[in-house]
Amino acid sequence: MDNNILIAFAAALAIGLPALATAWAQSKIGAAGAGTLAEKPELSGTIIILIAIPETMVILGFVVAVIILLGG
Amino acid sequence: MSKVEIVGPRQLLGETLSLVRKEGDLHIEPSAVGFIDDIHKKEIHSLLPDEKALFEKIFLEELEGKLKTLFSCLVIDTMRESFLSPRPIIDTVSRTLDKHLEMCQVLCKKREEIRQDLFELSGYKVFLATVSTLIDKIQLTPDLDYIGITLKDEKSVIALKENLDCLADTSCELLTVPSEDGSLVGLIAATKDISEDIRSMMSEKQMPEFTFPESIRSMTFVHKIEYLQEEIRKNEADLAAVDAKLTEFTHRWGPMYKAAHDWVHEQLSIIQASAFSFETTMCFFIYGWMPSEKVAGLSASLQQQFAGSVMLEEIDIRMEDLERVPVVLQNPQYFKPFENFTRLLPLPSYTSFDPTPFIGLFFPLFFGLILGDAGYGLILLIASCLLPRIARKNLLFQDAIRILRVCSLYAIIFGFLYGEIFGDLGHKMFGLKPLFMDRQENIIPMLYFALAVGLAHITLGLTLGFISALKRHTKKEALVKLLNIILIFTIVALIITSFGIFPELLTRPLIITVLILTPLLLFSGGLLAPLELLKNIGNIISYARIMAIGLTSVLLANVANQLSGLTGDIVLGLIVGGIIHLLGITIGVFSSSIHSLRLHYVEFFDKFIELGGRKYRPFSGNQKEDSAQDISGVTEGNNKKVA
Repeated sequence: MDNNILIAFAAALAIGLPALATAWAQSKIGAAGAGTLAEKPELSGTIIILIAIPETMVILGFVVAVIILLGG
Repeated sequence: MSKVEIVGPRQLLGETLSLVRKEGDLHIEPSAVGFIDDIHKKEIHSLLPDEKALFEKIFLEELEGKLKTLFSCLVIDTMRESFLSPRPIIDTVSRTLDKHLEMCQVLCKKREEIRQDLFELSGYKVFLATVSTLIDKIQLTPDLDYIGITLKDEKSVIALKENLDCLADTSCELLTVPSEDGSLVGLIAATKDISEDIRSMMSEKQMPEFTFPESIRSMTFVHKIEYLQEEIRKNEADLAAVDAKLTEFTHRWGPMYKAAHDWVHEQLSIIQASAFSFETTMCFFIYGWMPSEKVAGLSASLQQQFAGSVMLEEIDIRMEDLERVPVVLQNPQYFKPFENFTRLLPLPSYTSFDPTPFIGLFFPLFFGLILGDAGYGLILLIASCLLPRIARKNLLFQDAIRILRVCSLYAIIFGFLYGEIFGDLGHKMFGLKPLFMDRQENIIPMLYFALAVGLAHITLGLTLGFISALKRHTKKEALVKLLNIILIFTIVALIITSFGIFPELLTRPLIITVLILTPLLLFSGGLLAPLELLKNIGNIISYARIMAIGLTSVLLANVANQLSGLTGDIVLGLIVGGIIHLLGITIGVFSSSIHSLRLHYVEFFDKFIELGGRKYRPFSGNQKEDSAQDISGVTEGNNKKVA
């Protein structure tokens, strides 16, 4: 198989899998967070933080993908 | 913040609290922990109210309740100020209040009944107003039966006509008149022998007849209309009369009762505050916190009013007090709007830093770094200049607009640095060149730049955490923060060396530094300290989002330009490009804001902010305003109903 195809496939996996993982984590935290906010609106800051934490995965995935595509 | 103690003779407690309330600077501490030394604990105890004070409290609470009930009945738009002092006449007020309350409640009840009747009659209003135009015709033929119907539109009229067979032999007639609400009011005039058939047909075809109240069923059609019109007129006149009586009462007695309500509210708040006071057999003690710059002012006021009988003393804040010191956010005008971001989190503790100035400096910077388009920035700047004209009273909205204005300026600056005006439009049309870096072409350098921004931001956070730990005299924590900073820089230097930018000779000393400092970190910070170091490095990598989201923003702008070019038509191109750019601006504003905030909340604040501060709540005369709001609050709903 052509090396370029493998590189593109690796980059796609590097960003795609963390993106799915982040989406799954955020969906769980978001649903719980919405329920919490209904009872305690003063916790909005904490909820934002909790929802934002899994995003790091996709950013790391993106960095790896960029390095695979351009830095490799 | 200063820790203070006010001492004076017991009989002056009420007057002292009144003065403290008027000055509005003292946060009264209900607990004596940290204020009373162990040796004095037996002599100083919480103030116990006597029988007279208890009766006074019950009397005032009852009076306040009655006054609130009275105000819930009154119609208040603006009320003149009463010049009567309520204190000498409070007993008279209490007596007259019972009589006035009874009278107002009767009027209020009557008003509610009339409103209910008018509400029920309102369903007939449109029909009656329309049918009244046909009343002359109806009166000419009293021997006919009349069936009322509301029709949605002309199609419904045609459908009804098709089903009325009697129209052909003129034994019935259909009259329609457009009503105020756009529908059509229909009236079927028919001879009495076929009217029941028409009603059955309408019922079958789901064309409901306009029904009148059951009580007037026996009346003729004309009488029904006249009766309902008369009922509406009568009720409206009665409502106007009741409202006039209540308005007159409000104008005459309202100011006095409002002054009485304010006075009662003040007395009750003083009684409540006195429960947080302490006493010996001779003296009272009030403990609390107040801004240091206000201490001299309150001290002078006490000296002036009580001629040295009541004293204010500043007490040293001890280490164990630090957790209890209340916190107030005080920032220069520029940073005030950014306090809204800080309020999303619990308050920082007294020994910690106020995060507002940092968020005020870095939020617009990150926003600009991510959005970085002079065209988008200009549109946002224009919007932020025009939008304040709407929703002037919405303070949160006004703050958001101020933040947007600052952010848009940063977006313009970074737009020129990246050479972007609506994506690559600036380059294509005006030959604009980036002053710093083209984000599209230099993805890897931009990634390094974003990581460098992260390194600087995280290092600043760790440095502030180090200073904060030193202030709290927690030396171990300070050492952990310092080791983190050194280790992060050492690891970064190692990475740079591996790229061949630093001389290779540095590799060994750097590795030795890491090997020496890591066990030190383990001993000073515990088993989780190395994990904390890894988290900090992860946090720095998280700043790569500045590049990632910025890149998506510029790519979307370029797509907008390309698509508008593909249309081959100036007008269509402008529309397509405009819509996609508008989408780009919307997404850009949201994503830039959310990610800038996240970088602060998750990555930055974690390094130096210690949350859990107590809010500074001064015992304030502004509670008078609160009581005024209470009154306006209960009457507002009332006035809305009237409107």
